[in-house]
Amino acid sequence: MTAALLEIEEATRRFGGLVAVNEVSTHVAEGELVGLIGPNGAGKTTLFNLISGFTPLTSGRVRYRGRDITGLKSHQIGRLGIARTFQNLRVFPNMSVFDNVSVGATGAVGLPFFRAVAGGRRRSDAISRRSLAALERVGLVAQADDLAANLAYGKRKYLEIARALAMHPDLLILDEPAAGLNESETAELAAFIRSLRDEGLTVMLVEHDMALVMSICERVVVLASGQKIADAPPDAVRRDPAVLEAYLGVDE
Amino acid sequence: MSETDTVTDRPASAPKARARARLLQGGILLLLFALLPAVLVWFDRGYFYQLAMLALIFVLLAGSLHLVTGVAGLLHLGHAAFYGVGAYIAGLLAADHGIGFTIGLPLAGLGAAAIAFLVALPTMRLVSIYFAVATLAIGQMLFLVMQNWVAVTKGPNGVILFGGIDLFGLEIGSRLGIYYVVAVVVAVSIWVIHRLTDSYYGNALRSLREDDQCAGAMGLDTVRLKMEAFTIASFFAGIAGALWAYTTGYISPVDFDFFESILILAMVVVGGLGSLPGAILGALLLILLPEVLRDVGDVRNMLVGLVMFLSILFLPKGLFGEVPALALMRRHFDAAWPGAGERRVGWRG
Repeated sequence: MTAALLEIEEATRRFGGLVAVNEVSTHVAEGELVGLIGPNGAGKTTLFNLISGFTPLTSGRVRYRGRDITGLKSHQIGRLGIARTFQNLRVFPNMSVFDNVSVGATGAVGLPFFRAVAGGRRRSDAISRRSLAALERVGLVAQADDLAANLAYGKRKYLEIARALAMHPDLLILDEPAAGLNESETAELAAFIRSLRDEGLTVMLVEHDMALVMSICERVVVLASGQKIADAPPDAVRRDPAVLEAYLGVDE
Repeated sequence: MSETDTVTDRPASAPKARARARLLQGGILLLLFALLPAVLVWFDRGYFYQLAMLALIFVLLAGSLHLVTGVAGLLHLGHAAFYGVGAYIAGLLAADHGIGFTIGLPLAGLGAAAIAFLVALPTMRLVSIYFAVATLAIGQMLFLVMQNWVAVTKGPNGVILFGGIDLFGLEIGSRLGIYYVVAVVVAVSIWVIHRLTDSYYGNALRSLREDDQCAGAMGLDTVRLKMEAFTIASFFAGIAGALWAYTTGYISPVDFDFFESILILAMVVVGGLGSLPGAILGALLLILLPEVLRDVGDVRNMLVGLVMFLSILFLPKGLFGEVPALALMRRHFDAAWPGAGERRVGWRG
């Protein structure tokens, strides 16, 4: 087995009396494409927030490259190489597409204020290059000067991914990237995520769209009511009685 | 034109664009250091000198608030108090200790920055309206100190300081000389603010305004960035205060009260939030308009209010909004965004 990039050990998060995530343990190996699914309210996004430092853990540990990152702030985790996107599209609306992406690059490269005053040419060059390359990767170069708010919904999704890519992450966490996309857009996105994985990026995604997860992920982690009920390749998950029950048991 | 040209052209790389940039930059310097002084000398009236320097001081105040409120998106209702701290440091050093401009000016900036840093420590985690109310309280506290700590600040009577400006022992007494000192200090300060706001550092600050949680996930230390913006802006407010003290020779607490903070805020908003040229235009408009309207008499302040109201109504993004301002900066002030020219690099390169 390859070395685990990310290890989650008995991660637990309580909100008052509610246990949103209950002793979930799993890992993500380098270069893997892992899906995280589960019915509404299963704790998927909460688990992502625990990994990325948005929500502190009630108990348990998160390790990244063997290093304990439990309790680190989100910007510290971001700088270590974990980038994320958000469920409800959070681009910076009043900034241009290029400037949006430059924020990700700036966070990773770092540009202290005194360097900015002095011109900061070397770092600014690096930020420019990264931003442009990330835009090229997602095919948004032609829209670089548009305001992010004016971008079509589907393109804003790619902008958010480009902003994360500009950080040059080793682990990319995508929170429901296909939400709100139609079938052909979803297929396009699936191919895109696969291609990122093929370039060596480790990807973890939360998704409602079962078909998407089953078609591209190598391993699927299933959460239900905050607990992990399955952690296996898609084929095995599909036949898992516990998974079937969790999904079919939900009235709809 | 291929579709990538829009980006590769980003910094003015073509010789033509560079020539235009020089023309514009040179034009601003010419106006500030040759044309305006020539006009002042021609008319030779103290009132015009005072007005020119007042306008420059408020350009710096609006420019510094632009960093905090326009760019980083923190609604700051106490900026004038830090302006006052700078003025009092410079004024009291000169009046009570005979310490002049050369040492007083930097100390005024650093003093205002130090106080800003201390009050910002607990404040920066507050968001939106809570932050605004906290800055309101900070401004009021500092104002009350100026007003009531009579033993040190001389209270409502204010501080009178004599003598013009000494520059490393060289006494500058002439009105023109003092104008030049103010113009140089303001120009250099605005240039620093330009580098801070029209750069990738500025983009990082803008992302705080847009969604600071999300900015955190990008690896930006949001609390630290806000602290920096607030402290640096207060430094320049302190510098502006020192210039005010040295040029008028008299300071009193009412110059630094809540209404002054609101006036500076209005300049930034009327000019265009997030836009440095906007803040400058806003400052010039709200300082010069009341003077131009002096002959109108009592309705003058109402007219100023009306202009503000109409400008917000019809130009909600400001006289010179952020989007055109950033486009202008990229085209003509390329230094802040160097070298986006290189392309064709693998995204993981």
